[in-house]
Amino acid sequence: MEQLVSTARRTSRSREGVRNLKWSRVGLYFVLIVVGSAFLLPFYWMVVSSIRPQAQFYQASISLWPHSFSLENFRNLFKQSLFGRGLFNSLLLAVAAVVLQVFFSSLAGYAFAKMRFRGQQALFIGVLATLMLPGSVQLVPNFLVMARIHWINTYWSLIVPGIANAFGIFWMRQYCRSVPDELLDAARVDGANEFTIYWRIVLPAIQPALASLSIFIFLTSWNDLLRPLVFLRSRDMFTSEIWLTIVGQNGHLPQPGVVMAGSVLASIPCIMLFATLQRRFIAGLTAGSLK
Amino acid sequence: MSLATETAPIQAATSRRRLSRWRTTAVPYLFVSPFYVIFLLFGLLPAIFSLVVSLYNWHGLTFGGFSGLQNYKILFQDPDFYTALKNTAYIWIGSVPTMAFLALVLAVLLNNKLGRLRGVFRTIYFLPVVTSLVVTGLIFSQLFSGSYGLINHMLSWIHVAPINWLTTPHWMPLTLILALLWRWTGNDMVIMLAGLQSIPGELYEAAEVDGASKVQTFWRITVPMMAPMIVFDLIISTIGTFNLFAEPYVLFGARPIGGVNGAGMVMGTFLYQQGFVYFKFGYSAAIAWVIALIIFALSMVQLRIGNRWNN
Repeated sequence: MEQLVSTARRTSRSREGVRNLKWSRVGLYFVLIVVGSAFLLPFYWMVVSSIRPQAQFYQASISLWPHSFSLENFRNLFKQSLFGRGLFNSLLLAVAAVVLQVFFSSLAGYAFAKMRFRGQQALFIGVLATLMLPGSVQLVPNFLVMARIHWINTYWSLIVPGIANAFGIFWMRQYCRSVPDELLDAARVDGANEFTIYWRIVLPAIQPALASLSIFIFLTSWNDLLRPLVFLRSRDMFTSEIWLTIVGQNGHLPQPGVVMAGSVLASIPCIMLFATLQRRFIAGLTAGSLK
Repeated sequence: MSLATETAPIQAATSRRRLSRWRTTAVPYLFVSPFYVIFLLFGLLPAIFSLVVSLYNWHGLTFGGFSGLQNYKILFQDPDFYTALKNTAYIWIGSVPTMAFLALVLAVLLNNKLGRLRGVFRTIYFLPVVTSLVVTGLIFSQLFSGSYGLINHMLSWIHVAPINWLTTPHWMPLTLILALLWRWTGNDMVIMLAGLQSIPGELYEAAEVDGASKVQTFWRITVPMMAPMIVFDLIISTIGTFNLFAEPYVLFGARPIGGVNGAGMVMGTFLYQQGFVYFKFGYSAAIAWVIALIIFALSMVQLRIGNRWNN
């Protein structure tokens, strides 16, 4: 009898459970969609504002939908700034950063993962220790050094210090460890030198990690505002980020449309990169944080 | 004759062998050396030099005489320093714990069976992370603009009078906090999603058998199991908060930096202002070291708390 009651109770609970489950699904989607809209709204507003004619910003009531399509803001942007040149500078700096940092990080990461040498442990701890130093500590002295060696207002001032990427080495070491030793030994028997092994075997084997590190480095370089503001001095050297802040603070009258037009253009490279390497990027992020 | 011709190849062979042995021992050092050379020149020496710089007065690019701890003394009496510190602390409280919580909740929600929609939502939440910091600042200065901003427009639907979010001191940090939540939550969410994969499924099954509610399961199983991940996340976010620069610089304008009454001034913008607007290099270097020490101390505290929480 007791058993009967308990089964009955259990079934009624499970029926209730099904109903609960349905409602919890509705609730789940509701929350996901509301949060998702909040995340997308700023993008929507950026795009809509970029094609809205300047005059419409100062009307009594602003409309939520684009009523007319105008490229006026984009034209004004290029009239008021060297924005094209700025985008070129940002791209050049980011690509140089990716190529150099990925190369040197993976080279060192491979050595730390697969070679045995005296002082290895200490050297690797040294790499990790550098992560503790916040970059702002070096800002003033780096500026003084750059001034002394005449690197102010050059690409070098931004490209060269970045080559020492401790995080990159750490990440690459984690991935290089997963390359099977047999593969490397086989190549050694065939007489390949260490650099050939790195170039021909290790690099292809860690491609997904290279992709995620590349996006990470690209975004870090592209996002940087502090260092370009400090080291770059002339209009033709400014990055797109610097131009955005200049246009955004253009004295007399704020020009929301022009600023958003620039923001749209500056977002395109990052979003395109993310779209092509998306899966690898998220996979890389998660794998990197798990280890 | 014969002796000479016979020993030559042997000598060549030994020297070749010696060369190859030298090569195999040198190669690893060669591979790791670029990091150390560049770090020495642009990382370590400047960091040490920065301590020296902070002990001097500066006139433009030249030393203006040794001043000992004068810069630090001035700093601890500078009301602007305390404004920046207070604002940074406020922004930390408003954004860092909230963000960790939101990221964890979103990760747990996305961990449900959603099929293909999971990827869609994950991409949407992650999209702000690939948006540049300057663009983030600009978008939020549009949304929160006093005259043409979307937020004020939406508030007008419920008859709230327009608010000058970006020029009213007590609203300014809140605007920045919202911008930070939008920009960074997706990043933390991905880290949390990775962490969730490592929680054994049996724990949840056991909880379900015991009739635990979703909320109970979240607080009793997910949060404790995710403790190391949460601590890691908090430390990273803390460092980020003390290095904030682009978002407040854009959001509150650069004339003057920090906006009205310096209500939007944070440690990062304060350091930049002193060093590269007023060109007080010694002072700026002192600020950088104080920031470094604060970050270090806070990281240690969080690690301690994390350890205690784990046990």
